[in-house]
This record gives sequence, structure tokens and C-alpha cells, in this order.
Amino acid sequence: MAGISLRGVEKHYGAVRVVHGIDLEIAHEEFVVLVGPSGCGKSTTLRMIAGLEDITGGEVHIGDRLVNDLPPRKRNISMVFQNYALYPHMNVRDNLGFGLKIAGQSPALITERVNEAAGILGLSELLDRTPAELSGGQRQRVAMGRAIVRHPDAFLFDEPLSNLDAKLRGQMRAEIKKLHQKVKTTVVYVTHDQVEAMTLADRIVVMRDGYIEQVGTPMEVFNHPVNTFVASFIGSPPMNMLPGVVTGGRVRLADGTSVPVPQRLTHAAHEGQSVLLGIRPDDICPVGHGLGETAEGTDLDLTVTLAEPLGMESLIYTSVAGQEIQAKLYGPRIVQPGETLSFRLALERAHLFDATTTRSLEVL
Amino acid sequence: MTIAMNATMTAPRRPLKKRAQSAALWFTTFLLMVIMCVPGLWVVLSAFRPNREILAKPPIWVPTEITLGNFAKIFGFGAEQVGIPVTSYFMNSMVIALTSTVIALIIGMAGGYAFARYRFRFKGGIFLGLMLFRAVPGIALSLPVFMMWSRLGLIDTQMGLIIVYVSLNVPFTIWLIDGFFRQIPMSLSEAAQVDGCTRWQAFWKIEFPLARSGIAAAGVFAFLTSWNEYALASQLTRSTDSKTLPVGLMDFTAQFTIDWAGMCAMAVIIIVPALIMTFLVQKHLIAGLTFGGVKG
Amino acid sequence: MARILTTNRGKWTPVLLLMPAIVTMLFVVALPLIFSLYTSLTAYRLVRPETLWDFVWFRNYTRIFGDWDFWVAFGRTILFLTIALNLEFILGLGIALLIARITWGQRTLRTIMMFPMMFSPILVGFMFKFIFNDNIGILNNALQSLGLTDRAIPWLVDAKLAMFSIIFAEVWMSTSVFAILLLAGLFAMPRDPLEAAKVDGCNSWQVFRHITLPFIMPFAFIAMTIRSLDVARAYDIVHVMTGGGPAGRTELLWTMIARTGYSDARMGQANAMAYVSTILSILFTWYFYNKLMAARRYMGGVQ
Repeated sequence: MAGISLRGVEKHYGAVRVVHGIDLEIAHEEFVVLVGPSGCGKSTTLRMIAGLEDITGGEVHIGDRLVNDLPPRKRNISMVFQNYALYPHMNVRDNLGFGLKIAGQSPALITERVNEAAGILGLSELLDRTPAELSGGQRQRVAMGRAIVRHPDAFLFDEPLSNLDAKLRGQMRAEIKKLHQKVKTTVVYVTHDQVEAMTLADRIVVMRDGYIEQVGTPMEVFNHPVNTFVASFIGSPPMNMLPGVVTGGRVRLADGTSVPVPQRLTHAAHEGQSVLLGIRPDDICPVGHGLGETAEGTDLDLTVTLAEPLGMESLIYTSVAGQEIQAKLYGPRIVQPGETLSFRLALERAHLFDATTTRSLEVL
Repeated sequence: MTIAMNATMTAPRRPLKKRAQSAALWFTTFLLMVIMCVPGLWVVLSAFRPNREILAKPPIWVPTEITLGNFAKIFGFGAEQVGIPVTSYFMNSMVIALTSTVIALIIGMAGGYAFARYRFRFKGGIFLGLMLFRAVPGIALSLPVFMMWSRLGLIDTQMGLIIVYVSLNVPFTIWLIDGFFRQIPMSLSEAAQVDGCTRWQAFWKIEFPLARSGIAAAGVFAFLTSWNEYALASQLTRSTDSKTLPVGLMDFTAQFTIDWAGMCAMAVIIIVPALIMTFLVQKHLIAGLTFGGVKG
Repeated sequence: MARILTTNRGKWTPVLLLMPAIVTMLFVVALPLIFSLYTSLTAYRLVRPETLWDFVWFRNYTRIFGDWDFWVAFGRTILFLTIALNLEFILGLGIALLIARITWGQRTLRTIMMFPMMFSPILVGFMFKFIFNDNIGILNNALQSLGLTDRAIPWLVDAKLAMFSIIFAEVWMSTSVFAILLLAGLFAMPRDPLEAAKVDGCNSWQVFRHITLPFIMPFAFIAMTIRSLDVARAYDIVHVMTGGGPAGRTELLWTMIARTGYSDARMGQANAMAYVSTILSILFTWYFYNKLMAARRYMGGVQ
């Protein structure tokens, strides 16, 4: 039974600190995604779990074993690399069975496990091919197959879908999710793509500059971001941020326009506070073209600058208080630039962030 | 408008210009090939002709007689015995070249792997140092080595020459093998380690097989360097115990100044192994040199 | 609380891996070089071994620097190298451009190009000694048979012609190094900048000068560095073709060292000369190695 536990884990390269005191408890069979922009330390953390990087400080436990001093081969984990790292001079069968062969397992067991993995991933026809003869998606599946044959305590994925085109990426995402449902094992998955994070994770860990910004389920992180970074990073198109000042129970924006403070935040916001009003494009819709009834709606008349039709919905560019924002229109209606429409803001789903600390007022 | 006018104006002339260019290209290439090949071919041809034909005045262009007599002679068979023990020279060259190559490869693989995979202090300095040591001219090095080897009793021994040739080959072998190992992604070794290998196992099962052709190319290059070397060999050898083919050829030219046919035969014996190696090397050698050299 | 751990797995590995190489070079090259330096400061003569301890400081050096013959040989060596290397570069570039344009039989051409590199310099020297021989050499025979001349042209005897002959042999042997590396450079070049330049209105020469040439310079520097390591192999060629003669007309630094050290047995002096040639080679190599490193950094940015 193996969860993974990180306590105060740090990584320094000489004087440069890349990962600062990470604390994280991953439960057995949980699918955890480390997500964040380039350079945030997610890959480094993953590699420390794998044993491919030395741990400068802190402890890593896999199951109940302290693994800091153990080389990768003793940690009983598998890894899927960004460029698949398939052994070019072996065919698929030998690639899959390599780990078991090194461990000295019997040929019978190796054949059985290899066939089992090939069956799960649809590779049975390809066992005699070499990696050079496979497509990108097939190589990806061989990499995953190689990971599962050893029945490890945990799977580690290092941006496995980055090298695939968009369509294939979508397909492989679904396959990975199905695989996890079938082969119930702990997964630590690293990506910079927040869509992958949202769709695959049981819990998301948002990282920046070597720190953990927030840990939570996809819905928690989406609906209750703790700061502006998480709020902007998760969700596409990104959340709009409007600077304003709390004045008399309302948020006064740059040009004098004001909206009420969302009811659930009235006790947290104090008079004169500089805030950022965060509201997602999905929550700003022309009246009658939204996602349903809003409990706390406020209407603003705004002029459309640009409309991007996406079929049954459109992305509308407009501006509030001198700042360009994005809004959504649901329905087949065509909108022209220059049109003025009445937009309804669903304030019950809006957020307020302190302008200086960037933290959400929900949390304080 | 100008573009259209240019097109119509040059259209009829274009084919002619291209054909002229093409002809010039082919002619130059042909000339090039002649200059490259004729000297060697002439020597090879002369090796199969009797000496009197070569010395004939006016010159006999079309050979009237083809013979293997020259080869027989220098190896010590046949009517004319020649006092140059080519067989010994050949064996010495082979043993010395092969042994020094194998040792240089082992040292080179270790060093090349270190440069390719690890970061450490003075890395650039050590590499430069190896290169600069290699830059010492053979004849300049031969003086002190001669003096030292005399005191160590290594003069006129195969081992003495082997040791020197190993040091001659190590820097370049490291450079080449460094380049070849860099072409193999580090993630392959990491995947193998995650799969259960120690670093040593990962090297032998994954990285080494993939770099094998490059290492072979480096080996061939080292072999040729040893096989063809003269300056050091000429001073560190004295007798048939250790004299190599290049030294033998030089002795021959000094001793039998007009036996051109015999000299050509000896030259052929020196060339043949080198040419065989050329075919095996080409592709890999360039790949390793340039990737190691440019992309670093 | 976090404890500081340093797993030093394999920290000494690179050092261990490099030990054999370093030890070999120190023993076989560094040590002799030190010995050579010491010897150059003595009046050592092989025939009288006790003179090894006869310390004369810089007398050997002042002697050779005051010797007119030495400077002539030195100058001749510099001239030889300058002409040969420049020719090798230009010809190598031309050949590379040529082969790059040819599609049919290109592989064969590239293989043929490698031949001269595989020859022993002694072989090359011998080959051209044979060809340039004034009596039975194919060159004179051909010229006479074609009626272009009625004399035996003294390719290896006349001062200027002999220089020409040894330079010819050296260039024949080593142009391929440049040709092959520059060809690899031409192949490695991405097409896009070329096409962009043509669209921007450059003619062939401009494209070559501003796009192609800068790109292949790193490859030229690799070739230069490799050549500078082996520049002294020219000794083998000259030794067999002319022996530095006749009458010292083709005497280069290296043949002079060999003669002084081995024929005249004046080891101390020979070592002094050898040191001069060693420093020359090292400076040469260092210069091109730095250029190569600089070009590498530049190319790293471009690529």
C-alpha cells in the first residue's frame, strides 16, 4: 500500500533554490497532478520522487519507506518521460519486458505481464516493431505499457503529452484516465497544461517558483482559488481581473463604475480596501444568453469590440473601466463589433482579491 | 511588370546557361577525381610492373607485363631476395596498432562518457589540456621520449611504442566518443535506471549498444593514426623486433633508391588496410565529429 | 524539521573515469616535456652522456635565435603552413560546394574524398617523390610525351619547385579534412534562412557571404583545430620527399630538429628547437580551439 509523502522537500543547485520546503501527502491510488508554468519546480519535484535528482533537504516517503538515499531502481516506481525514452535498439516486446528481465523474473512471468499490458493498451499487434516504426501515440502507449508491467507502487508522468498534437492529446488524456481506473495505482503527473490537470486529477497541486500555491480538487481550485495566480492560471479563457476600491459596500472601478460586493464576501471586505475583482468570462453574459438564472446579477451596458464565434457560443471582447475583458455569449446569435449590449455579471461566482497580498478575501 | 519582362527575356537562354553550368560542374568534378585518384592508382599499378619497365626511357605507358614478383620479393620469396623483412614490419604494425587502439578506446570511452554525462569543475580546462598535449609535434616529443625510453629499456620494444601511441590517440578518441554519447538522450539511461538498472548496467545495456558504431569509428581512426605514424616510430625502434611499416618504407627508399617497383609494392601493403577501414568509417566519423564539435 | 541531506551518489565517478586518460597524458607527454625543457637548458650530447648535467641556462636558445639558418627554416615553416592551410581551406570549401550540388553518385564522391586522409604521410611523401621524380616520374614523362617540354623538370631539386612539390603533397593529403567537414556543415544548414534571403532579394554571392559562410564557420574551425593538432605530420612528407634538402632548400623546423638531435646528436640544442616548435603548435591549436568555442556558443543561440 503506497501513498507518497513529501515533507519539507527542498532542492538547491549551489546557491540557487529551485524548490522551497514542499509538504504534500498523496494518498494511495490517488491521481495527483502537479501543474504550473515553466520553471516552477514541478519536474524537479517529480524527479526527486523518482530518485533522478538528489534531495537537498527534507524527506520523501514512498509507502512507509524513507527513500532519500535509495537509487531509482530500489524505489519501486515507474516513470513515463516526455520524449517517451523508448529503447531504440529493442522491439516493443523487449522494451516492455526490460525492467522485469533486469529484475531476474522468469520468462514465463515476463511473457504473461507483457501480454497483459499490451492487451490493456492495444499494443498486441505491435509487439515485434521497433520504436522507429511507431507513431507518436503508439510510442506513448508503449511508454505507459513499460510503466505498468512492473506493477510499481506509483506511476510518475513527466509531461507525457507535450509532444503530441492537440487532437491526439485529447485522445491520450482519455486513455490515461481509463488506465488509472483500471490499474488502480498512485499517480503523480506533471504538466503545464491546466486542461490536463483539470480533467485527470483527483487533486491538483498548483506550483509557482518552487512553492505550492494551492492544493485541492479540480472544482475546489476552480471555484475557490486562494490567490490571483491560481485564479488566472486555472480555467480557460482566464479570469478577468479588474482593479477597484471597496467603497460603501460596493466595489468602485477605475472609471467610477461600481458593482456590489458579493454577499458572501461583505464581512471580509473593509472600507477603502484596494481589491481586484475577479470574474470569469463564463460569468459575464449578455442578458438572456447566459448559463441560467443568476442569484446575484448586476447589469452593465458594454460595447463589443470583437466577437469570436465558436459555434454555439461566442467569446466577446469588450471593456470595463478602460480595461479589456472577455465575456461569453451562449447561443447561436451573431454579435457585431460596436454593438452595445446589457451584460449580466453573476456576482455569486465572482471573487475579490486583496490588491497588495493577491490573496482571496474568501480565505482571509 | 519588370518580373514578367525578365522571365520572357531569359526564358530561351535559361536551358543553355543551366547546361553550361552543369557541364562545368561535371568537368571540375572529373578533374578533381583525377587529381585525387591518379597518384594512388599509379603507385598501385607500378607495384605490379617489373622495375625495368618503370625505369625505361622513353617511358612505357601501356604495361607489357604484370607481375606479382615485387610482392614476392619484399616478403622474402622468389629469386631476388631483398633484405627488408616486410612480414615482421607488418606484424609489428598490426600488433602495435591494434593493442594501442583497444587500450585507447577503453580509456577514451571512460573519459568520453565523463565529459558527455557529468558536470564537474575544470571540465573545459581538462578538455583543452588534453587537446594541447596532443598538439605537441611528433618529432619534438620523440626527443625526450627517446631519452626517457632509453633509460626505461623501452627502446625497440612493441610495448614502448604502444604506450606512446595510446597517449597519442586518447585526446581525439575522447573528443569523438564524447560527441557520440551526447547524441544519446540522457532520459534513456534514466528510464533504464527507473526500470531497475544500476548506472553501470544502464550504460552497458542501453548507452553502449547505441553508441557502438560511433565507438567503432573512433577505434578505426585511432588504428589509422597508429598504423600511419612515422616520426616517433622512426626513433623508438631499432630492429625487426619493433619496426613498423612506415619506418620500413623509409628504410627501403634510403637503401634501394632505384627499386621503385619494390617500394610501390610496399606502399600498397601499407595502403590496403587503411582503405578497407575507410569504407567502414565514413558516415559515423563525420556524424560524431560535427555533432560533438558544434552542438557541444 | 527538514534535515539537510547530501546524497553523494557517484560524486567521484567523473574523476575516476578521467583518471586513466589524465595519468597517461601526464606520463607520456607532460613528463617528457618537462624533461625536454630541462635538456634544452643543458649542453647534452648523446655521444657524451655526462653532459646531461652540464647546465648552460639559455645558451642553446640564444644560439638558435642568433642562427640565421634557424630563422630561415622557421620562416619557411611559417610560409609553408600559411600557404598550405589557406589553400586547404579554400579548396576544401570549393570542393564541398561542388559536391553539395551533385546529386548522382554523391556518396561515392564523399568516400573518395576521404581517401587521402587515410594515407600515412610517409606514403603520401613517397607517392609524390615517385611522381615528381625528374627521371622516371609520371609527371615529367607525361609532360615530355605530350611535347610540352623537352627537359627533365627538377621538381624536387630546384628551391622554388621543391617548395611547390611539398606544399602540393601536403595540400593533397589534408584538403579532405576541410572538404568533408565543410560538406557536413552545408548539409546541416537549415533551408529557411536561405530561402528567406532569396525572397528578400539577395543574389547567389550575397546569400553565400551572409548566410552560408557564417553558418559553416564553426565547421571550418573544427577542421582548423583538427589540422593544427597534426600539422607536424608534414615532417614525414618532407623527410621522405626531400629530407629537408637538397642543401637545406626545403628545410623546415621539424627536419632541422631531427637532424640536430639524431644526426648531429646535439640533444640540448635540438630540444630547444623542439620547444619552439611545440609552443608554436600549442599556440596555433589554442587559437583555433578558442575560435571554435566562441562559434559553438554563437551557434547554440542560432540553433
